[in-house]
Formats: sequence, C-alpha cells, structure tokens
Amino acid sequence: MLEIRHLTKIYEDGTLAVDDVSFTVPDGEFLVVIGLSGSGKSTLLRCINRLIDPTEGEIIWNGVDLAKLEGDDLRKARRKIGIVFQNFNLVERSTVLTNILTGRLGYNKTWPTMIHRFTKEDYDMAERVLKRMDIEDQAHKAARELSGGQQQRVGIARALMQDPELMLADEPVASLDPVLAHSILQHLEKLNKEDGLTIMCSLHYLDLVQRYSTSVIGLRQGKLVYQGTKKDIINVTDEEFKQIYGEEAERIGGGLEGNLQQKGVEA
Amino acid sequence: MAQNSRKAEPRNSFLVFLILLLVLFFIGWQIGEIDLYALVTQFDDAIPALSKVLWPWERAITYPEEKWQGTALLENPCQDPPPPLNTPAEEGPYLIVDPACGEPTIQEENEAGESIVIPGTELHVQGYGFLPGEVVQLWWRDPAGSQFRQRQDGDIITVIPDENGEFEIDIIWPYSIIPPSYREGVSEWELQGRQVTSVGAWEFSDELTMTIEKMIETIFIGMMATFFGIILALPVSFLAARNLMSGNVFTMGIYYLVRGVLNIIRSIEPLIWAILAIIIVGLGPWAGILALTVHSIAALGKLYSEAIESIDSGPIEAIQATGANWFQIVMYAVVPQVIPPFVSFTIYRWDINIRMSTVIGLVGGGGIGFLLTQWVRNLDYRAAGIAVWFIAITVAILDYVSAEIRERFV
Repeated sequence: MLEIRHLTKIYEDGTLAVDDVSFTVPDGEFLVVIGLSGSGKSTLLRCINRLIDPTEGEIIWNGVDLAKLEGDDLRKARRKIGIVFQNFNLVERSTVLTNILTGRLGYNKTWPTMIHRFTKEDYDMAERVLKRMDIEDQAHKAARELSGGQQQRVGIARALMQDPELMLADEPVASLDPVLAHSILQHLEKLNKEDGLTIMCSLHYLDLVQRYSTSVIGLRQGKLVYQGTKKDIINVTDEEFKQIYGEEAERIGGGLEGNLQQKGVEA
Repeated sequence: MAQNSRKAEPRNSFLVFLILLLVLFFIGWQIGEIDLYALVTQFDDAIPALSKVLWPWERAITYPEEKWQGTALLENPCQDPPPPLNTPAEEGPYLIVDPACGEPTIQEENEAGESIVIPGTELHVQGYGFLPGEVVQLWWRDPAGSQFRQRQDGDIITVIPDENGEFEIDIIWPYSIIPPSYREGVSEWELQGRQVTSVGAWEFSDELTMTIEKMIETIFIGMMATFFGIILALPVSFLAARNLMSGNVFTMGIYYLVRGVLNIIRSIEPLIWAILAIIIVGLGPWAGILALTVHSIAALGKLYSEAIESIDSGPIEAIQATGANWFQIVMYAVVPQVIPPFVSFTIYRWDINIRMSTVIGLVGGGGIGFLLTQWVRNLDYRAAGIAVWFIAITVAILDYVSAEIRERFV
C-alpha cells in the first residue's frame, strides 16, 4: 500500500507544484490522476520515486518512508517502482534490447554493466517481456526506428524488467493517437488485472479515465480537489468537473465518448 | 517632444560608438606600425626570396658529386734558398706553381687617404691529372685558414683542362686580410684546383628527405597528442558537465573546480605550453606532444562537456528511475547520446593538432617547424619553401580525410 501524507513540493523558483496532498493507494489499484497541465500531476508522480525530492511530507510505501531514503537505500527502493513517460524517454540510438535491459541495472553490479554484461536470467526475462509487449521482432532495431506506439511499449517493457510492485505512468498516451492510446492502456490494464500490479497513471482524456481507472484523484493548482471511485467518475457532475478543471473548461459529450476540451487554457 | 528625444538617444550613442571605433582604429594603426607604402615598395626586394619559397623544387633533387682536388704550397716571403717547386703527386691531380714563393697583393692607404694596390707576385700555375673537359675552380687558403676564390679583374676565374687533364694559367697572388700575428716569419699559403662533377642519376636531396622525415614526425606528434587528449578529456568532461554534477554541493564544487582549471589551461596557447614542456623534458617531439595534449584536454574537455550538457535529459531520468547508479546512468543514458558529437569534435581536434604541430617546432617542440625556423634563419629559402609546401600539402590532405570521416560517422 502506498500512502502519501501532506506531500508538498516547492521548486527553487518558488513555484508551489504540489500543495499538502494526502491520499492512499491500496495494492492492485489502477489509480488515475487527472488535472490540467501544470496542476502538479507530473511532480506528484516523480516525487514518489524521488526523481524529484519533495519539500515536505511522507511517502510511505510498504512501511518505509521513501521521502527519507538516500543513496543505496533509495536505489534499492526505486528498483521496485517502474515508470513510463509521456515522451517514452528511450535512448534512441541504443537498440530496443539494450533499452529494455537498462531496467535490470539496479539489480546488477556496476562493473559488469560497464562492459554491457548482463546475466542470462536478464536476457531470458527480456525475451519474455518483449514477447508480452509484442515487440520481439524489433529487439535489435535502434529505438528511434520504432513508431510511437512501439516506443511506448518498449518503455513499459523497460519498467517491467524492474520486476516492479508499483508502476507510475506520467501521461503515457498523451503523445499517441486514440487507437494507440487504447492499446497502451490495455497493456497497463492487463498488468494490473493479471499481475496485480498497482498502477498510478496520469491521463488527460476523460473517456480513457472512465474506461480504465479503478479510482481517481484530481489535482488543481497542486491541491487535491477530487477523490472518487470508478463509479463516481462515470457519473461525474459538471460541478465536480469544473472543480477539477476550472471555470474555463467545458465538457463536451460525456460517458465513454467524453472528451475534454479546454478553451483558452492551452498551457 | 518626449518621443523625439527618445528617438535621438540611440542615434547619439551610435555616433559615440562610431567615434570611439574610429579613435581605436587610428591608435591601432599607430601601434601596429602599419606601413602600406613599405608593403608596396619593398615587395620587389622580397620577390627573389619569395619566389624561392614558392618554387623550391630545384633543391628537392641532387646529383651525387665527386670532388677532385690538386694543391700546391707557397711561402711568403721568399727565403734563400727559395723552396723547391711542387713534385708530381703519385695519385690524383696536382699543381706546380712557379715560383713557389713570393708576395701577395697588398692594399694600402697612402698619406693622401687614397687606397693603392701593390700587385703581388705573378705565378705560373700548371695543373696535371685533372678530369679532362671539366671546370677547375682555383681556390686559395690563406695562413689564417680562410678560403676564397681566385679572381682576375674582379671576376672569378676558372680553367678547363685539355684532353690529358692538364692546364696552364698565369695568375697574380691575390690580396687577403690577415691578422698581423699570421704575418710574422714565413707564412704558408695554399693554392687549390678543385673539380666538382656529378656522377650517376639524380636522387632526393637531404632537404627533401629531412622534410619528409620531420613531416611524418609532425603527423605523429598531432596524432599522439589527440590520442592522449581524448583519453584524458573523456573522464574530465563528465566531471565538467553541469547536468551530471548538479546532484549536491560537493559534486557542484568539483564541477566548478574542473571548469575553472579547464578554462585556465585553454586560455594558454599551445606554444607557451611547449616552452614549459621543453623546460621539463627538453627539446624534441615529446615536448610538442605534451604541449598539445595539455591543450587538447582542456579544449576537448570543454567541447565534450557541453555536448553532455545539451543531451536529452529524458533517458537520464528514466534510467535513474530504474535504480541505476551514477556510473550506470552515464554509461547507458549519456554515452550513447554523446557519441556522434564526440566523434565530430575529436576529428576536428585532430585536424587542429596536426596544424598546431607544424608550428610547435618553432619553439623547439619537434616536427617540421623546427626545420622551417632553422632554414629561414639561415636564409635558405628554397629549403624553407620545401617545408612550407609539405605543410600545405599535408594539411590539405588531412582536411579532406577528416571531412570524409566526419561525413561517414556522424
């Protein structure tokens, strides 16, 4: 179980990105974080695996406060938390296989990895993961040669190589078209349902949220403004919607076809 | 009104700037001793030397020579009895001079301050055993040891032996400035008949072979310096990359330290590093290699670290998130991204180092520059020309090669 208590992040330039946020994520949940761009979703997710150091608050995961970890302890904790990024963050010149094997770096000693030595188990695992993500044919291509959807599957594969217990996903489908978005989210859903992997994912489109989430939190200007179950989000009212997205936001459609359109709040 | 004054302001400051620029220009003209007149009028005088530099190839080949020399000794002044005439040599050519003693030509100033010449003894010279038909030069060696050629009416004279290798000629014992200490007692003069003939086919001159040898040395100085430069700049560049070192205060301290040292090293020219290196290891290519290596580390370190700073931070974040440590992040997220710019910068540096190694010899750092300065100082413009040509050719070839490599790899 992941428990966030009074998490606050103030950047060096004074920006208050996350403002006293508290919530819990039970194991096996598919938690979706919604909110406008700049509402603190990315910061919140990155605080959990400490890519960003929180200013205040606690991140209790399996009884350990991640916010207090340093050095080796932090690296050991990070191994069990996978992350998928909006821009995939692959090493474009490296092969798909190498990109995926980097997920095992935390489990290997430094010196063998300096000369690209991974264990046989790592390679076997890579083969299984590639197959599971349907990209086994691409293993020896450079990552930049792949299409966007394929690249994101490599991103998920890399995270899976960490043998994670928690998967963070920072707008994993925001750079993909709707068909690919569903395909990627179905992969994540499968991991959630079949492997019981806890997933914490930020999304933009309400229909995707309604389709895949098991629970939802909403952020607005760094503050937690909404908490609900899948049932709640399907029946979300205009009132609640405006609370999350602000007065400018306008809702078109609804239900499964619902799309969020933001007027005048591009940034 | 307010608008007008605001508009006028930039025009005024522009005028001030223009005046300042003009003032600086004239000061520079004075300090630089710029003299266009000299450039034009003295150019003609330089043409002989310049044309030797531009077309030095006469010196590139030589014909092997054989020297053939017959001598006779003469005494000054004559004694009683006079010395015997030279006897025929058993081998090779010889001269017989009659008489075997006498007085050289004397130049004096009389009381009126006019210089007067008292001609020396007339000598009858016979040569035997010379090569038929080949020019014989007549040389003198005076008691002080200086050598000079026989002249008649100001012109150098030569003789050509007949088919038996013999010749006869009458000459006047010439004048030579001799320190007084050599004039005491009986002094000995030597008359030499010299023949120089070329035998066999042409071959490369010493200047050409030395140039080629030193050019190869030059290329290797540049190559070794680049090689050492890369090896040492690589680890340094990672320490000088802000995005990798911004983790905490300690690493930021290292970053500023490394950056500072690199900037200082880079601001000192390789020629000055060469002078310092020569103090430590002495003259020669090793000093040149050291100097260029030091400068390459600083220059490449800066270029490399800037390449590292401009990489996409996404993969770093992603690999950091897998629990990888600093070394693994560098190896898997940074290295693959910086390989293309690194290759490009390295080839560029190799280019610069070869060009620099041609001048590093000017201060004694080995390579072709060493020869070039020597030859220029000896006013041997043809030999210097050969060196200049080889530098130009080599740099042009390497320019082409490095451009090709860059195109293939990057």
